Amino acid sequence: MEDNPTSWFMRITVTILFLFLLAPVLLVFPISFSGDQILAFPPSSWSLRWYEALLGNNVMMSAFLTSLGLASVVTVLSLIIAIPASYAIVRLKVTGSEFLFNLFTAPLLLPTIVLGLAILIIFASMGLLATFTGLVIGHLVITLPYALRVLSVSLGNLSLACEEAASSLGAKPLAVFGKVTLPMMAPGIVAATALCFLVSFDEVVITLFLTGPRMTTLPVELFHHVESQADPLVASVSVLLILMTLAVVMIVDRTMGLTKAMASGRAVSMSTVADAT
Amino acid sequence: MMHQTIKRDGVETIGNPHLSLEGINKKYGLVEVISNLNLEVRKGELIALLGPSGCGKTTTLRMIAGLIAPSAGKIAVGGRDVTHIAPHGRDMGLVFQSYALFPHMTVAKNVAFGLEMRGLSRADIANKVAKALSMVQLEHLAERKPRELSGGQQQRVALARALVIEPSILLLDEPLSNLDAKLRDEMRTQIRDIQQQLGITTVFVTHDQVEALSMCDRIVVMKGGLIEQVGTPHEIYERPATPFVASFVGRTNRVKGKRTADGCIRIGSSMIRSATPAGQDDVVVMVRPHRIHIDWNATSTEQDETANRTAAVLSRITFIGDVIQYHFDVDGSEFIVEESTKKSQSSHRHGDKAVLSWSVEDTLVFGADQ
Ligand SMILES: Nc1ncnc2c1ncn2[C@@H]1O[C@H](COP(=O)(O)OP(=O)(O)OP(=O)(O)O)[C@@H](O)[C@H]1O
Ligand SMILES: [Mg+2]
Repeated sequence: MEDNPTSWFMRITVTILFLFLLAPVLLVFPISFSGDQILAFPPSSWSLRWYEALLGNNVMMSAFLTSLGLASVVTVLSLIIAIPASYAIVRLKVTGSEFLFNLFTAPLLLPTIVLGLAILIIFASMGLLATFTGLVIGHLVITLPYALRVLSVSLGNLSLACEEAASSLGAKPLAVFGKVTLPMMAPGIVAATALCFLVSFDEVVITLFLTGPRMTTLPVELFHHVESQADPLVASVSVLLILMTLAVVMIVDRTMGLTKAMASGRAVSMSTVADAT
Repeated sequence: MMHQTIKRDGVETIGNPHLSLEGINKKYGLVEVISNLNLEVRKGELIALLGPSGCGKTTTLRMIAGLIAPSAGKIAVGGRDVTHIAPHGRDMGLVFQSYALFPHMTVAKNVAFGLEMRGLSRADIANKVAKALSMVQLEHLAERKPRELSGGQQQRVALARALVIEPSILLLDEPLSNLDAKLRDEMRTQIRDIQQQLGITTVFVTHDQVEALSMCDRIVVMKGGLIEQVGTPHEIYERPATPFVASFVGRTNRVKGKRTADGCIRIGSSMIRSATPAGQDDVVVMVRPHRIHIDWNATSTEQDETANRTAAVLSRITFIGDVIQYHFDVDGSEFIVEESTKKSQSSHRHGDKAVLSWSVEDTLVFGADQ
């Protein structure tokens, strides 16, 4: 295999592809250490000033903390809702569950901007704009479809036999769920957690409609910052975002192997996975 | 057709059955996979469900376990109607055809599961688990995960997991199919011993006739969702109710014949007798290959009250180790005769003439339409 010319050809192609995809992202790292006043590559001098600026920037830091808290809360809520929901859909086949599944996953198909606009109109009348609650609900609309899909696929791939064995061994339905179904869904749950967290953490389109001066998230603040100023601060913020994403990916990889986790969520289109990571 | 009336639809009442199935019917959509199944199993009995692939053995077992509901009929255990009781309330131990071990638990945890559900103390559980694992010779693998075991080892864990709870009814779905011949023999004896010791009523699904004959008190032969015959291994083998049973359990010769006015049966130019008066004109005659005696020197085919005799010509010899098969031509019908091999085999050749004889009692006769 090692000496096979086609395998070398494959390797070189893959390397070039990776560079092509990752180069813009990698560029952010050197720029974040720029000593210049404006965004340019290559920087004429090096410094840590934009990291200091980031730490000193109260708006950015509070936006970061908001994003972190938001993504965590949204992820936990998504799981709390999607785990029982996927069980009801896949295992119990409750009447109308098919319909609910389609309803829940519909936001994936809608143009996000239309969704954002619709949520804006509704939330405006309810006073939910620029509130944490509003953001949580808004993000749930887009994370729930992911969680539901990943978990339903993961549950659907589990053979019923283990659950049947458990119940024939005397386990009541709740014990079967807790001791057999849930642990066996673990790969799906880890994948869903990672996806929800990442989707929420770098969501921009819908969030743009829901944030305000009182409350904003890191990607939205970054967006606003780029609009008004062209300094390398955006690079240091981007590094922060990338590191957070990497951290999540590493945790998933450590706990179960990334490919395995993502494979259990293969119903989610590749583009959305790439999007989220 | 006396044989047919014995238990053709499996209705055989025994006093005070432990497990009883009454008029069980199972439909998937419009397809009926089990039709009007009636069966009674005594306390402590080991009964085999024997039949070809797809005949409904697993389906029947799953209905007993409560994993699927019958479309019609009643299932009772010890007189209590359990038809609508959930699996966890039935106190049955089930070994799945696919093992269904919990992949996230160690072997010991798997075996302990049923005991934990029953709320036993830790010490009791550890004790029983160790005993169950040593019984299936797996104590050294207690801390492994199922995926780190071979198929046969997994099968034994599944067996230990079902046995350890000492269920009132044990349901085994081909529990030995993945073991090598030696281990299978050992496990057969083990299962039988444990089952006898604990007196657990056991339903044993298999498509291996040797397993059914050697281990079980009674055998239920199934075909296409119907019970063909219920009986002891001896009855099933010696007095099969249908041609299907005769050919599914053990080997048999099968030739066409015609009943004559005097009650004899004509096969080609030979006339034979049977102990069972078949009522039809066209009949099928079945004789087990090893019940036929070959007389290489005799020429007389004189019949008497107890034995059938017919002249035959040797057409082929097949040597299969323990036995040697002689294929004879009897007026255009083929008869296979089996003899156990001896070291100094007398040499017979294609075209040799002989007289075949077998007892009238060993002559099974069925209507040709069966
Ligand atoms: N869920 C189902 N839906 C439709 N048909 C089914 C279903 N389960 C089983 N069957 C059918 O019922 C029949 C009996 O199946 P079953 O699994 O009981 O066979 P079996 O006797 O256990 O066979 P084997 O020896 O191959 O395990 C088969 O023809 C099968 O195709
Ligand atoms: Mg089966």
